[in-house]
Amino acid sequence: MMAGPLELVIVGGGTAGWMCAAACAAKLVPAGVRVRLVESEEIGTVGVGEATLPQMKDFNDFIGLDEVEFMQATQASFKLGIEFVNWGREGHRYIHPFGTYGRPIGEADFFSYWIRGRRAGIATRLDDYCFPIVTAWQNRFMLPNGDANDVRNAFAYAYHLDAFLYARYLRRWAEARGIERIEGRIVEVERDGESGAIAAVKLVSGERVAGDLFVDCSGFRSLLLGSTLGVELEDWAHWLPCDSAQAVPCARSDDFTPYTRSTRRKAGWQWRIPLQHRTGNGYVYSSAHISDDEAAATLLANLDGEALAEPRVLRFKAGKRRLAWARNCIGMGLSGGFLEPLESTSIYLVQMAIMHMLTLLPAKAGIDPALPAEFNRVMDVEYDRIRDFLILHYLANAADAPLWEHVTAMDVPDTLAGKIDRFRHRGHVQAYRDGLFGPPSWQAVFVGQGMEPQAADRLADALPAELLRQRLDALAATIAHGAASAPTHAEFVARHCPAPPL
Amino acid sequence: MNAPVDRVVVYGGGVAAPMAALAIARAFGRLGTRVSWIDTGEVPSPHTALVGLPDLASFHRLLGIGDAALVDGASAALNMGQQFVGWSGGEGAFLHAYGDAGSAFASLPFVQHWTRARQAGLRVALEDFSLAAAAAREGRTGEARDPATRQAVKHGWHLDAAGYATLLRAACGSAGVAILPGTDAQPHMVDGRLDRIELVDGTTVTADLFIDAHGALIALLDPQGMALGASPCDRLIRGSAAPLDPPPLYSRVTVHPAGWVTVVPLGDRLAAEIAYDSRYLSDAEARTVLAQVAGRPVETGEAKAIHAATRRRSWVANCVAVGRAAGDMPLLDGAELLLLQLAVAQLVLLWPIDCAAMPEADIYNEELGGSRARVADFAAQHFRLNGRTGEPFWDAARALPVSPELAAKLDLFAARGMFAHCNHEAHVEDSWALCMAGHGVVPRGFDPQALLVEEQALMVEFQRQLRAIAAEVRGMETHAQALARIRSGGR
Repeated sequence: MMAGPLELVIVGGGTAGWMCAAACAAKLVPAGVRVRLVESEEIGTVGVGEATLPQMKDFNDFIGLDEVEFMQATQASFKLGIEFVNWGREGHRYIHPFGTYGRPIGEADFFSYWIRGRRAGIATRLDDYCFPIVTAWQNRFMLPNGDANDVRNAFAYAYHLDAFLYARYLRRWAEARGIERIEGRIVEVERDGESGAIAAVKLVSGERVAGDLFVDCSGFRSLLLGSTLGVELEDWAHWLPCDSAQAVPCARSDDFTPYTRSTRRKAGWQWRIPLQHRTGNGYVYSSAHISDDEAAATLLANLDGEALAEPRVLRFKAGKRRLAWARNCIGMGLSGGFLEPLESTSIYLVQMAIMHMLTLLPAKAGIDPALPAEFNRVMDVEYDRIRDFLILHYLANAADAPLWEHVTAMDVPDTLAGKIDRFRHRGHVQAYRDGLFGPPSWQAVFVGQGMEPQAADRLADALPAELLRQRLDALAATIAHGAASAPTHAEFVARHCPAPPL
Repeated sequence: MNAPVDRVVVYGGGVAAPMAALAIARAFGRLGTRVSWIDTGEVPSPHTALVGLPDLASFHRLLGIGDAALVDGASAALNMGQQFVGWSGGEGAFLHAYGDAGSAFASLPFVQHWTRARQAGLRVALEDFSLAAAAAREGRTGEARDPATRQAVKHGWHLDAAGYATLLRAACGSAGVAILPGTDAQPHMVDGRLDRIELVDGTTVTADLFIDAHGALIALLDPQGMALGASPCDRLIRGSAAPLDPPPLYSRVTVHPAGWVTVVPLGDRLAAEIAYDSRYLSDAEARTVLAQVAGRPVETGEAKAIHAATRRRSWVANCVAVGRAAGDMPLLDGAELLLLQLAVAQLVLLWPIDCAAMPEADIYNEELGGSRARVADFAAQHFRLNGRTGEPFWDAARALPVSPELAAKLDLFAARGMFAHCNHEAHVEDSWALCMAGHGVVPRGFDPQALLVEEQALMVEFQRQLRAIAAEVRGMETHAQALARIRSGGR
């Protein structure tokens, strides 16, 4: 296959597959790349109510989706952060927000002033200095107001959406823009005898779909990357022992939160994702610490509306493929790795893989080894950072059940060890240019789960105490006032992007 | 309960000691921290010039050093970049200018469009699309006035090291730093920590934290802490010549068969230095080459040995080594002043909050170790990419080992014109692009999204950018005008 356009074949049509196809439709098809997607209607997708990160808006904007239309098509609601209930200790709650704490009030960073104020007894809880948190807890929502000096602009937002509807929406969108969809179950993967690269996939119909580059979006099966090319999973189960989940939708309740809720439970944690037409729920657990039946019973006993289906069981293993791009195959989504949805990173990881694939797309003539090397380098950084951040959530808890006794005592990766001591010592969090997670995220989880710094950057000591008190008070008041001016989340969605009933 | 760091001793001389003392006194003096500088008497070697990168300007705000004082006290000249001559073989040259390498458009870095056009036969060099480079070459400086130009032009400083040290010393005096004469002072260690320094007059100076700009303190605490690196050259001679008229806005690094010559224009002289390998060039020959390359007689100082040894940890117990005391620095790209500035700025950021336990040391060593590695990578690219094949010195320089991070950067740029961003980057993406492209790397491929721009539209955009650059340069002031304005206190 030397002449003609680059042939790209996407295998699998779940959220990952159709996100990739839509991005290709927007950016590669017009540049002369032929893109086909193979999927089988016989194979279900894992799509559940999905919570996302603010980067998803960048993705939608990048490919050119209309936000209102997208939200209507996916029954979406807005998300200002994640509420963690019972994490740290029973009865406690905090929000990991999509925004920063405070605003500059002196030459040190705000968080250092807060530490100082906290220790002097003149600062209230950290959440009070964060506009998206205060707004979220009142079930209110507004779009950032565009004024760089206003606290009502100091946040980003994400979505809760129905991932199945999102894939369906993207499919319509991508097919209208030149993506060829091929229906059929894959029965064989054909490899090139010389190079070992994937030459084609054969369908049950006998059709052979050949390509230069294959994107494996086949889900947990990892049909091409894992099964065919034999790229192993780097197993992180010793750090992230949850290996099962049960998901169930329930009727929408009056509590239409602009945030995802994660409630720590005996053998894992339960998610709650409010969509316009229903609420998505699930229990992520360690099967070594609870039976499926008991997990299902726990889940069903903790819904805030009528269950709309039987709980569906999912099995998984935390980890990532040792190479996300091997030979001529790129794994995206579950086929490339899995991290539990505690921080809503699944779609983000797909998005990152797509964005890097677009810029690193090989030429027809062959794959320059520097391209997969860079792809794998940056995806490793993404996975490792998210992994460490997830582990942090597990570490800092009361050891009040066998799972929690285990995870609060386990050894942690080298990249995480030391971070905790440094934070306790002086509130230090290392910043890096891009990727997840920035200092406010670490501050949220550390403080939210009970690890408050013992001291702050000394530069924060230069501000007189009375002035510090005044500035902290004024900031909290401004935020409270700003939050009260926002409409309720339910009102905002009903006016801005009401979805038709399904 | 934490016991704050109350007493700080800075030990050493040169530029590093007064810079560290000044930064600390200005940041923490108002919190009651007392800073003493034990001046061990070293002054910058005669003829030394420093290449200060654009970030130095913001650091000077922290230090309270004004631009006019630099021009008057340190013979400062504006520094818009560094020119490399002959590195690809032959006489060709390129300019690493401090600014953008073309204006991004269609949501892609300019380099992607440039690569595409090069592959379609365009002959124009990347630096020709850089406003900063065009201005510097024409002897013009300033910022773009038309927002549509969308290109940053930045400048740092060329400084006379001795004058700069004097200026920092004077500022220390006004910032409340106690300056003590400290030749032949004797440090003492107790339980793995520095305890006190005895001066020759019998005075004993104690501190919670010691800043070592000399090397003796850290060597006492961590005698085995040096890691030897590879340096392409082993000798250095510095000199001075009559100033160029008009003074260029950039320094120039010209190769010779056994090393390179750097000339740095200052307000009142041309500083020149030659780095060489003594296996191929005698000291006397080096002096001759220096004058030849400088194009005028050069008054030279002693030949010095140069090394490439660095400390694995620059913060050990209650002692932080800065400047040379932390290790040798690359001789290119303003690395010396850049690393000193980073070392001092990072120390202020990570100022220990407890004088007994200082876990900040580990963070600091990670950060500085990372910055040092990235700065070393930037210098190492010049050797790895040199095109002077058949010359033993340059063939060996090309074969020097590089870090995995640098290897990834070079591979990715050569393949795709993209930048492999690592932690602790000290130079911006466009600086890397200008250097790698300047050394002759034309990426083999480009982001396919570049093809979303029609060829005709691409050519129109290129012409627009070149015209905008020419128009902006015409409206800028000359180096002499800029220095006169700065001297008179204008912005």
